[in-house]
Amino acid sequence: MSALTVHDLTKAFGATRVLTGVSLHVPQGGFTALLGPSGCGKTTLLRLIAGFDDPDSGTVLLGDRVVAGAGRGVPARRRGIGFVPQEGGLFPHLTVAENVTFGLPRRRRRDRARVAGLLDLVGLDAGLADRAPHQLSGGQQQRVALARALAPEPSLVLLDEPFSSLDAALREETRAAVAAALSAAGATAVLVTHDQAEALSMADQVAVLRGGRLVQLTDPRTLYRLPGDLDVATFVGEAVVLDAEVRDGRAHCALGVLPLGRDCPDGRARVLLRPEQLRLSAPEPTAPSARVRGIDFYGHDSRVWLDLPGGLAVSARLEGADLPAEGDDVSIAVLGTALPFPSGPRPARQDDRPPPRPVADVHLESPVAAPAGPAAG
Amino acid sequence: MTSSGRAATGVLSALGLAAALAGCGSDGDTLTVYSAQHESLVRTMLEGFTADTGIELEFRDANDTELANQIVQEGDASPADVFLTENSPAIDVVDREGLLAPLDPATLDQVGEQYRPASGNWVGFAARSTVLAYHPEAVPEAELPASILELAEPGYEGRVAVAAGGADFQAIVSAVLALEGEEATRAWLAGLERNAEVYASNTAVMKAVDEREVDLGVMYHYYWYRDQAENGLIGDDARLHYFGGGDPGAFVSVSGAGVLASSDQPQEAQRLVQYLTDRAAQERLAESTALEYAVGNGVASAEVLPPLAELGAPDVDPGSLSSPEVTALMQEVGLL
Amino acid sequence: MTLALAACVAALALLPLGYIAGYTVDVGWSGVRELVLRDRVAELLWNTGRLVLGTVAACAVLGVGAAWLVQRSAVPGRRVWHVLLVAPLAVPAFVNSYAWISLLPGVDTYAGALLVVSLSYFPFVYLPVAAAFRGLDPALEETAAGLGLSGWAVFARVQLPQLRVALLGGSLLVALHLLAEFGALQMLRYATFTTAIYDQYRATFNGPGATMLAGVLVLLCLVLLLAELRLRGQRGYARTGRGAARPVRPVELRRLTGPALAGLAALVVLALGVPLYSLAHWMLAGASTGLDGGALLTTTGTTLALAAAAALATTAMALPTGWLAVRARGRVTTLLERSTYLGSSVPAIVVALALVTIAIRATPWLYQTVPLLLAAYAVLFLPRAIVTVRGAVEQSPRLYDDLAASLGCSTVERLRRVTLPLLAPGLGAGAALVFLAVVTELTATLLLAPTGTTTLATAFWSASSALEYGAAAPYAVVMVVLSAPATVLLSRDARRSLTP
Repeated sequence: MSALTVHDLTKAFGATRVLTGVSLHVPQGGFTALLGPSGCGKTTLLRLIAGFDDPDSGTVLLGDRVVAGAGRGVPARRRGIGFVPQEGGLFPHLTVAENVTFGLPRRRRRDRARVAGLLDLVGLDAGLADRAPHQLSGGQQQRVALARALAPEPSLVLLDEPFSSLDAALREETRAAVAAALSAAGATAVLVTHDQAEALSMADQVAVLRGGRLVQLTDPRTLYRLPGDLDVATFVGEAVVLDAEVRDGRAHCALGVLPLGRDCPDGRARVLLRPEQLRLSAPEPTAPSARVRGIDFYGHDSRVWLDLPGGLAVSARLEGADLPAEGDDVSIAVLGTALPFPSGPRPARQDDRPPPRPVADVHLESPVAAPAGPAAG
Repeated sequence: MTSSGRAATGVLSALGLAAALAGCGSDGDTLTVYSAQHESLVRTMLEGFTADTGIELEFRDANDTELANQIVQEGDASPADVFLTENSPAIDVVDREGLLAPLDPATLDQVGEQYRPASGNWVGFAARSTVLAYHPEAVPEAELPASILELAEPGYEGRVAVAAGGADFQAIVSAVLALEGEEATRAWLAGLERNAEVYASNTAVMKAVDEREVDLGVMYHYYWYRDQAENGLIGDDARLHYFGGGDPGAFVSVSGAGVLASSDQPQEAQRLVQYLTDRAAQERLAESTALEYAVGNGVASAEVLPPLAELGAPDVDPGSLSSPEVTALMQEVGLL
Repeated sequence: MTLALAACVAALALLPLGYIAGYTVDVGWSGVRELVLRDRVAELLWNTGRLVLGTVAACAVLGVGAAWLVQRSAVPGRRVWHVLLVAPLAVPAFVNSYAWISLLPGVDTYAGALLVVSLSYFPFVYLPVAAAFRGLDPALEETAAGLGLSGWAVFARVQLPQLRVALLGGSLLVALHLLAEFGALQMLRYATFTTAIYDQYRATFNGPGATMLAGVLVLLCLVLLLAELRLRGQRGYARTGRGAARPVRPVELRRLTGPALAGLAALVVLALGVPLYSLAHWMLAGASTGLDGGALLTTTGTTLALAAAAALATTAMALPTGWLAVRARGRVTTLLERSTYLGSSVPAIVVALALVTIAIRATPWLYQTVPLLLAAYAVLFLPRAIVTVRGAVEQSPRLYDDLAASLGCSTVERLRRVTLPLLAPGLGAGAALVFLAVVTELTATLLLAPTGTTTLATAFWSASSALEYGAAAPYAVVMVVLSAPATVLLSRDARRSLTP
């Protein structure tokens, strides 16, 4: 297993620039998620690392070995990188066992014990060894694909949205099995995904890509708490974004005067809260008030839609059964701090990414569920 | 992986077969014969040739004009060594292009003078007479036309069958052309275009008459005699009318044999033509079921046939019949 | 490299067209006027035109009617009927017309020709329309019925518009086949451009008359092809769907069941029963005159060998084009692929005529050889192979190459362990389609077979042209038996076989 270092990688297809100056380090044994919406370049980055495509400039290092860039291009088959594509990509003309041992030297391909060991590693029964791929469920196919990638003991494993085609229940189970197998194998892994929950829960490091650039690289908790900008903030979780005036280290906004999570110069700003920071109570004259417009009840928790005086709308995440009713007037209290983002002229962007989503001038929040549909990076 | 193994086996066996097929080409001791005459007739006449001479034969069987034009197109590169036609106009096309070698005088002398051209570059080896097949219930004997030229007149609309696409009929037209001139022939063909039903072959013409699809059909004699010999399966009810009297419709067509000047085995090729016209081969023809006329000196044709000399055939030099002009005229009037 | 190979294949496919075009330019306007603007051509145009129109109409009615009965009505024995309605494809059209004319000499009329070719060609409409019926969403029909439409109105206003593309596609196929048909019409004495070209060829070899008629014929084909391209551009062919998710409740025929069964039975008797009866009849009649078993065996062997070689060569030639069409989609590759389709829409008689002439003048060493015949087969049948190769390449996406590379495979190893095994079934299917087409190919074989080479089709042809029906029958029987597996392929996958 080796560390992966990507330095200043750039790639264009024709006139379309897909990656711009991406740098990234994945420590040995680490698990990094490449997170971004479809079209952000994450799959291209994965293909450059794997050696399926060549970068226009920049370098890729496996440990100390330069495998791409600086005038070198080690072909994919000599890189020793395992690859798990969407939907597994099992060779349809081979059995499970033949798939798993595909990358092994010829004399070791007949080693049934090895096959059984690899299937066990990914949590599959050795009895599946002689099945054809189409006889397996989607989750089983993914696990076989992982076993196949792990069999030659690669220095790095790349997973390209491996869970996106599975249904919700199977996805959880397969994720767990894959995470366990990767950790048991001590593999260095890079996972491409557009699902922020998947990235936050599985990886120990998340790289957020947007418009072909790396916008933030950090651990999951920091990413959620201290996102680099409002776009990242709304992409990695539901958000309540409010206009505010910062004075003396406090934000004055529609939800009252809030303490700040980090320093911010005085002046106009936008502040980020997470819906779970809002608490509701019976109306009190001193606290900001709102009227309940609607409730989405999920069982383990609920989302409460609130109208503030002056036309603003926010949402709160509430646990427990003690919920207000639609039409109730409530008071809002805020737990913890608000994260300020100074407004005013933002630094000009030179890339050609689509304009940022309008993050509410007036109202707030955009629940960031994963975008529907297949999302190749 | 078994499927790929099977595929590989298939590939190899197919390649082997293809190689075997390609290997069928000619080699040193094989003469390539372009033959437009009936396969069975030629094979009968050449019976014993390979045994006697050690020369193997390979036949390309097709139609007169097709083969003639093919040889012309092939020119000096023609794979053919010997050309056998059903009718003389086709071999004449090749002769006029200068593609035939002169035949041995001894070979020429085996055949009567009226059955070979003045050039001496080819020789007749069989002959056939033009006849009019008719259905006696449709046309009483007394009402039969006296000349083939009458078939173009009004009154015969839709009643006459011809195999216009075939070389046999085109040879008959060439005789009309040689005897009557271009204008008369054009007018005659135009009349026929209006009157005639076009069939694919002489046999089809005879069958059409037999079944009264038409009243009359222009064809060669031996189709009828052959059918009679085989119990009249096809043309039982049809009868033959010989025009005679030197009418163009009494034309006797000569099948020609010649040696290609480009042949790389000229001696063997000359040998073949000599063999085809010698007494033995001509007698085999006379005794066979082909029922075409033998043309070898002193050889009598099959007994069921009216003697060749009594047919009243018009006097036509077999070397003077032109195929291209006939084709052009027939195209012009729309028979082709 | 692959591109260069594909370009060579496309060039070969376009060779006959190029020859005709070049010749026309050579002949010049006055030559064209003399050879083309004459009564005979007008007559052929009329003959060809009314036969094409009549046959297309008849095939459309027969095909759609039969498809509706089998796919949507409750007529008993629908599976059996489906097989029986595809089965006529196992009888080559020229064998069918032999069967008819040998029993009923009077069918050599326009009506007779119309009857015989319609019976041979209606499956070309039946198959895609039946497939389209299977792909229709029954929910639409139910909705329409729910809106108060009668059964007939549902058919006319809901189903027919959805079948339009399949129907027109099948009709164009019938028209193209008919323009190229030689054997069946020659035997029925029905003169069209193709038979006239053959007559001209027999009279003049490759004379200007033949070539200019070929030019007119090619023009007709191009007109049809343009119409087809326009159609495809607008809608695309109806795909053979996986079928409705839910079984369709068939329309009860009630007292119409009897007439429906009688109609289907009549169609099957005419299209399949008559030729089979006729062949059996002549087999028995021919037995009395003695069957030459040796000749039959040799001819069958030659035919199989030729067909195998052609299948191999054509499939190999289809590989680069089929590969690029999937892996390097783009203007150039589309152009190359279309070129082969265009080339093969040229009737066999024209392809053969062009190749004979070109070989005599340019490559005398290829003249009268098996490779030249194989080249003609390739030009004629490339699309069949390309379509299946394409399908196979689609089954082997680039992902597998990447995966194999990431697992340490070299290019050669990748080819051996992944690509070829994945392509093999598709290549096999393509080769089989070409093989079966060659077994019954008549026209090009007549003109191009090397001296001394006889195939089942040409042996059958020379015997049946001489009206030796008994002697012809065994060759026809072998052809039908060899073609039978094709109908199994066809009844399973309409799209593959029907794409021109």
